[in-house]
Amino acid sequence: MLNKKAQVSEIMTWVIATIIIISILLVFVYASSLLAQKTKIIKATDLKIDLGKEVDLLETKNLIAYDLASENEEEIIKNWEEENE
Amino acid sequence: MLNKKGGGKIIAMYWFVMLIIIAGGIFAMVYSFYHHPYDVRELEAEIMINHIADCLSNKGELNSELFNEEGFSQNFSENFLGNCHINLGVEEVWQKNFDVEEEAWGGEPQYYLQINFYNAINLENSVFEISKGNLNLVADWNIQEEKEYKRTAKGVEDGFFSFNGEDMYLIKILTIVKKTEKNVK
Repeated sequence: MLNKKAQVSEIMTWVIATIIIISILLVFVYASSLLAQKTKIIKATDLKIDLGKEVDLLETKNLIAYDLASENEEEIIKNWEEENE
Repeated sequence: MLNKKGGGKIIAMYWFVMLIIIAGGIFAMVYSFYHHPYDVRELEAEIMINHIADCLSNKGELNSELFNEEGFSQNFSENFLGNCHINLGVEEVWQKNFDVEEEAWGGEPQYYLQINFYNAINLENSVFEISKGNLNLVADWNIQEEKEYKRTAKGVEDGFFSFNGEDMYLIKILTIVKKTEKNVK
């Protein structure tokens, strides 16, 4: 009788250990799939060019236009940029 | 003695099973991460905007081919893809799959681009428009105003100012890319 009890408690230890290991594994599998969904979206802003700052082509074009613009037109460009920030 | 030997075998078997389970778990983690495709649709849309902007304007001046004696050239608009060296048919999605007699991905074009020109005096009403590709993608993209959905088309809208002689124009470019089959799982 005593021997059987000891066997049952030993088996229970392994069963609980197995459940813990499997549940930890499942959490990690879920986390890795979640991570893949969240991190595998690439935008142009993610591509850092080694110039110390971000390079935006359209921003550059606006700066050139700003340089060529009259006072009134400069105001239009400024207002539009503020609205679209 | 015999019973003890049996117990040892069971434990060895248990460790073996655990080893398989853990190895399987690690495999599942790596597989679920690396099997997930990179979503580069927004990047693709932004690259397309940059390419179009470069084609339309250089050093602050609009491309002279955009205009004829009467104003904006309809001919440029009609041959826009050729003039700007844009090939929307580069993906197999545009090609028919003759083996199974159906078009790949339903044969639906996966890109849309729209360019609106506004005179700086009136930024509300567009004076000229160029649009190419699948117009249905606009509705697909508009759905996401409040909430972003994974399987709908991704789009980017941006604009810049440029000159034609003395006149300043605002050029707004919208590009939409669908290609969910390649970018979303």
